[in-house]
Amino acid sequence: MTELKPGQGGRSRIPLRISHRLWGYYWERLQKNRLSLVGLGFIGFLVLTGIFGPLLVQDPQKTDFNILNLPPLGFSIQESIYDIKTNEITTTMIEGRPEHPLGTDSKGRDMLAMLVSGARISLLVGLLATGIAIFLGTFLGVLSAFLGGWVDNALMRFTDIMMTFPFFLLLVLIVFIFGPSLAIIVLVIGLTGWTGAARLIRSEALSLRTRDFITASKALGASDTRVIFNHLIPNVSSLIIVMASLSIPGVIMAEASLSFIGLGDPMSTSWGTILNTGQHSLDSAWWVAVEPGIMLFLTVLSFNFFGDGLRDAFDPKASV
Amino acid sequence: MRSYIIKRLLYSVIIAWGILTITFILLRVGPTSPVDRYILNIAAKGQDVESVRQAIEARYGLDKPIIEQYLLYMGNLLQGKWGWSFSASQPVMELIGSHWIYSFQLILLATIFAIILGVGLGILSAVNQNTKIDYATSIFSFIGISIPGFWLGLMLILVFAVYLGVFKTFYDTSYPIWSLENLRQLIMPVLALGTGELAGYVRYTRSAMLDNLRKEFVTTARAKGLSERTVIGKHVLRNAVLPLVTIIMFDLGSIVFGGAYLTEIVFGIPGLGQVSFNAIFANDYAVVIAVTLIGTFMVLFINLATDLIYTYLDPRIRYD
Amino acid sequence: MKTWFYTRRGIVKAVNGVDFDLRQGECLCLVGESGCGKSVTALSLLRLFDSPPGKIVSGKVMFAGIDLANCPVEQVRRVRGKEIAMVFQNAQSALNPVFTIGDQIMEQINAHGRYNRADARKKARLLLEEMNIPQAENALNMYPHQMSGGMKQRAMIAMGLSCDPSILIADEPTTAVDVTIRAQIMFILQELKTRRNMSIIFITHDLSLVREIGDRAAVIYGGRVVEIAPVETILTDPAHPYTRGLIACLPDISTNLKRLPSIPGNTPNPIDLPEGCTFHPRCRDVMDVCRSTEPALVNIAGVHKVACHLYDNAGAFIA
Repeated sequence: MTELKPGQGGRSRIPLRISHRLWGYYWERLQKNRLSLVGLGFIGFLVLTGIFGPLLVQDPQKTDFNILNLPPLGFSIQESIYDIKTNEITTTMIEGRPEHPLGTDSKGRDMLAMLVSGARISLLVGLLATGIAIFLGTFLGVLSAFLGGWVDNALMRFTDIMMTFPFFLLLVLIVFIFGPSLAIIVLVIGLTGWTGAARLIRSEALSLRTRDFITASKALGASDTRVIFNHLIPNVSSLIIVMASLSIPGVIMAEASLSFIGLGDPMSTSWGTILNTGQHSLDSAWWVAVEPGIMLFLTVLSFNFFGDGLRDAFDPKASV
Repeated sequence: MRSYIIKRLLYSVIIAWGILTITFILLRVGPTSPVDRYILNIAAKGQDVESVRQAIEARYGLDKPIIEQYLLYMGNLLQGKWGWSFSASQPVMELIGSHWIYSFQLILLATIFAIILGVGLGILSAVNQNTKIDYATSIFSFIGISIPGFWLGLMLILVFAVYLGVFKTFYDTSYPIWSLENLRQLIMPVLALGTGELAGYVRYTRSAMLDNLRKEFVTTARAKGLSERTVIGKHVLRNAVLPLVTIIMFDLGSIVFGGAYLTEIVFGIPGLGQVSFNAIFANDYAVVIAVTLIGTFMVLFINLATDLIYTYLDPRIRYD
Repeated sequence: MKTWFYTRRGIVKAVNGVDFDLRQGECLCLVGESGCGKSVTALSLLRLFDSPPGKIVSGKVMFAGIDLANCPVEQVRRVRGKEIAMVFQNAQSALNPVFTIGDQIMEQINAHGRYNRADARKKARLLLEEMNIPQAENALNMYPHQMSGGMKQRAMIAMGLSCDPSILIADEPTTAVDVTIRAQIMFILQELKTRRNMSIIFITHDLSLVREIGDRAAVIYGGRVVEIAPVETILTDPAHPYTRGLIACLPDISTNLKRLPSIPGNTPNPIDLPEGCTFHPRCRDVMDVCRSTEPALVNIAGVHKVACHLYDNAGAFIA
């Protein structure tokens, strides 16, 4: 008779991380949703831009007051200059220049360089803050479900309070109090955004806990930790992935909103901070407000497309 | 039923208390105190800074231990004393009383706009499932969900105010609140705030309608010889509305201090969003706490209202 | 008549040749296993299936000079509920959960005639009383979830009768209820037939119910009528091998069998119906011709028709 090691017998589902066939199956289903592939493509482009882009463009914070409000290549604007000596108004056409293909802002900063930097910031904040939120949510959700009793009660009441808190006001408040830096922004969004995940994981864990394969592995002497890491987490992994991909756009939007109202990290250029500048030069340089907005929009759209496709791919009931 | 409402109200009070406490602590642990800012002005006038500081701290009880301050503050709140706004030099309640209507009006109009169009398009999309109308609506709703509301606001200003001159670039507070002129200048803010909500409602309505269109009672309704309009508009919609109510109400709670906040800032509408924004930057504690509390109460009230509306709409649910 | 569903997995030939006629005051039973197409047949009569994907590809439904299968939808709508009413299998899900029973009955009354509220309400109450529902006035204000299964099913029948239709289609009205309620419902249906001289199309898989209420029975297999005859004939002298199989499967308390007999095999997949006679893969008397040619419905004895190669075109038994 072979010796049975604890926990080995009860594994009913292969964890996603080692099952190549399952990955292949989900990938196949995802591929049927063309929009989600387009989204994935754009996200890939953004990631590459965020990693390598800054090496290729100039310093996004470099100002040059000789080239203020330069329009993008192919566009031109009229600029009227009032001359004090001659008392005349001269109108000149300003054309876009190839060295600043997307134009410059009111301080002469290169738009392309700023947008590239913004891509890096958005992705960084989006991934890190979502990571923190999902990790916390999963941890607290599982904890709540497994410990039960007063721990569960206290955690869930705390979740209620956090969910009722006027979310954006809380963000603004904390970022203002602790000072606007990238680290604070990431931490705050991460530390306040875990509630939905916690609830979902908790209810999922509660229903899984009563399933036969968990009982079986417990009967074989598996510890709670082992049950959680070998059975529970793998079983909710698809849920976690979908949740993460669908909450990234919200996080990116939150960071952009904070930067837009002037609570962005002054040491880095994000799309929100560019929009903040652009808001004040709508009549003289429209592109400063248009370009980062388009990037923000496309990014959020891509994550929404991709997340939607993922959800359908992981949902056994959805026909793809 | 009554005991249920009482229970819910008690729970709401507990949640509000939790939020109050968190806000209070956040404000007190922050690196700057409101007195510092006030004192900067005094110092400029050449008065003795330290004695003024002590006088102020004694006057507002800021020299006492934090627990005592907290109890004092709670005691005042229970007596209806909401405190004094440093920055606006008037009682907090007066400040809020003169500004809440702007937020209320904006949110009300945007919500009505979003519900009517969103539900309408959702029904259209569901009834014409898998047709061009359906696909076009889907794409539109994806775009609407992904477009940042504040950026949409900027773009509307750019196109309709700066270039076309249809609207003014700033919000004119001289009009009476419900006058046509005021409603006209709210068109852009309502679009900016409502589009995201609208897009969400399209998706939820569509899926709720599709869920119910497949139900057997729809066949029964048709077999009774009812017109298609009655079948869809009465039998299906009435059931689809149930999940929609939850989503719409939840959304309402989240835009109170999310989208509405940013929209007010973009368009310069002097609502509670602006007020709390200014208060946060001015370290005006009393206002921040009051606005946070009001926001919380709104959310709690909306949650309770949702439950009550639900019992009215769904005869199967009774809270006893 | 043929009703096909054009799905992504292929064409579902749910109804693939069903022909029958119905006389005034007669109860015709449509008998068959689940998935044989009897419910879709009923839905097709009033064009109630989902379209798309469903489509009546050929055939007619003649009622009072109108071809319901091909006329404008608006015309069918006027017949639905008014002339031909339908009672569904599962009253639990067939009634709208958010409206009261009274509202749902009155809605139908008002869909086909002009009544003021009080009259419509009175009519609805009388209908519920006719269905032996206690405290009918009270029941009008009840929501479906407040009623028992039997009450719901009877309310459903009351609703079907609210416009005095000449035909009632009952789609397995007793499957979802327990035995005592089944007896009540069968009693009500029988009463309707005699008292109102109504025609009933009764859909079931239960031959004992056929014996109870049916005048004639049509046996459906693989979306086709394979045999149609008076109930007595079907039960005592079945001609089609499938019908014979069904009858043989009827439990008989006088014999003491250890195991109930069954017909081997499964109902055919309507996407991929067998060629020739759809029953040939399960048929004991299968011949070469059955595998290639679809048998036509032929008259074998007056009102007894059967679609089987065991009988020639003149209806004589060959084998």
